[in-house]
Amino acid sequence: MSQEAHSVTGIDSRKLLMWIFLASDCLFFGALISTYLIFKDNIPNPPYPTDRIVNGEFFHGLLNIPLTSVSTFVLLMSSVAMVLAVYGAQNNNLKMMKGWLLSTIVLGIAFLLFQVYEFRHFLHEGLGLSTNQFGASFYLMTGFHGVHVGIGVIILISLLFGSFRRNSLGSDTGFHIETAGLYWHFVDIVWIVIFTLVYLMPY
Amino acid sequence: MKNTHAANNNHLTIRQYLKIGALLTIITVAELIASYINLGFLLVPLLLILSAVKFVIVVAYFMHLKFEDLLISKIFAFAFVLALCILLALVSLFIYDPSIANR
Repeated sequence: MSQEAHSVTGIDSRKLLMWIFLASDCLFFGALISTYLIFKDNIPNPPYPTDRIVNGEFFHGLLNIPLTSVSTFVLLMSSVAMVLAVYGAQNNNLKMMKGWLLSTIVLGIAFLLFQVYEFRHFLHEGLGLSTNQFGASFYLMTGFHGVHVGIGVIILISLLFGSFRRNSLGSDTGFHIETAGLYWHFVDIVWIVIFTLVYLMPY
Repeated sequence: MKNTHAANNNHLTIRQYLKIGALLTIITVAELIASYINLGFLLVPLLLILSAVKFVIVVAYFMHLKFEDLLISKIFAFAFVLALCILLALVSLFIYDPSIANR
């Protein structure tokens, strides 16, 4: 028996709660992106984010756009995998749901590994959290996004393990997958904005 | 059969989801190519438009906002516009007086 919790609005209150949470997260990321845009040019010493010549000396840029494009593609594909997992759950296809959920988890972990590689590379090149205001705002924004991806992966793993314990979809399983999917797609749209503003926009 | 069921629930079919995934990939590749070409003053608006298109596609079709109750759209749109206003206000303030960033 389904345990739907409709609010006075007629919308399931759990879904409404998730949308309100995502709306508040919008403001969180809005503040972080603003901070980055304000401080991104405050780089008194190398390393610099992009290739530049200072006092006749050439400095290679830190940002690896081709690599980040691949990680962006990975996150986009994880969103496609997630929506197919939701489709499987909504159509009582447990096998499809499990398969695409596993794919989403693998792609999410791959994205996190790309981010760990990038952070390690930046640290190796001399850009730490306290090096300058660019570093602080960059690590804060992308790190906060990475934490969101990590939490999403943990949620999806718990849902996958939950689905292995039963042979059919419970009444609420489809709903839980859909709600987790909302969170996952939100993480994806935040990265769409960060990728454009941080990596593709000219400095 | 399942696809029909999904379509009846105002959601898309597997084929449509895959087409949207392909479209998102094409837009990302276009963004990447645009960032390497010298487009001058057109680059920033072009990147912002392409990014906005990707954003709207994911929210509307993957998050199913297009098929949800209008109240949910209003809640999300309000927060997004508010975040955008905060961003524009803060960035404008610091452009007006860049010395604030160094205090």
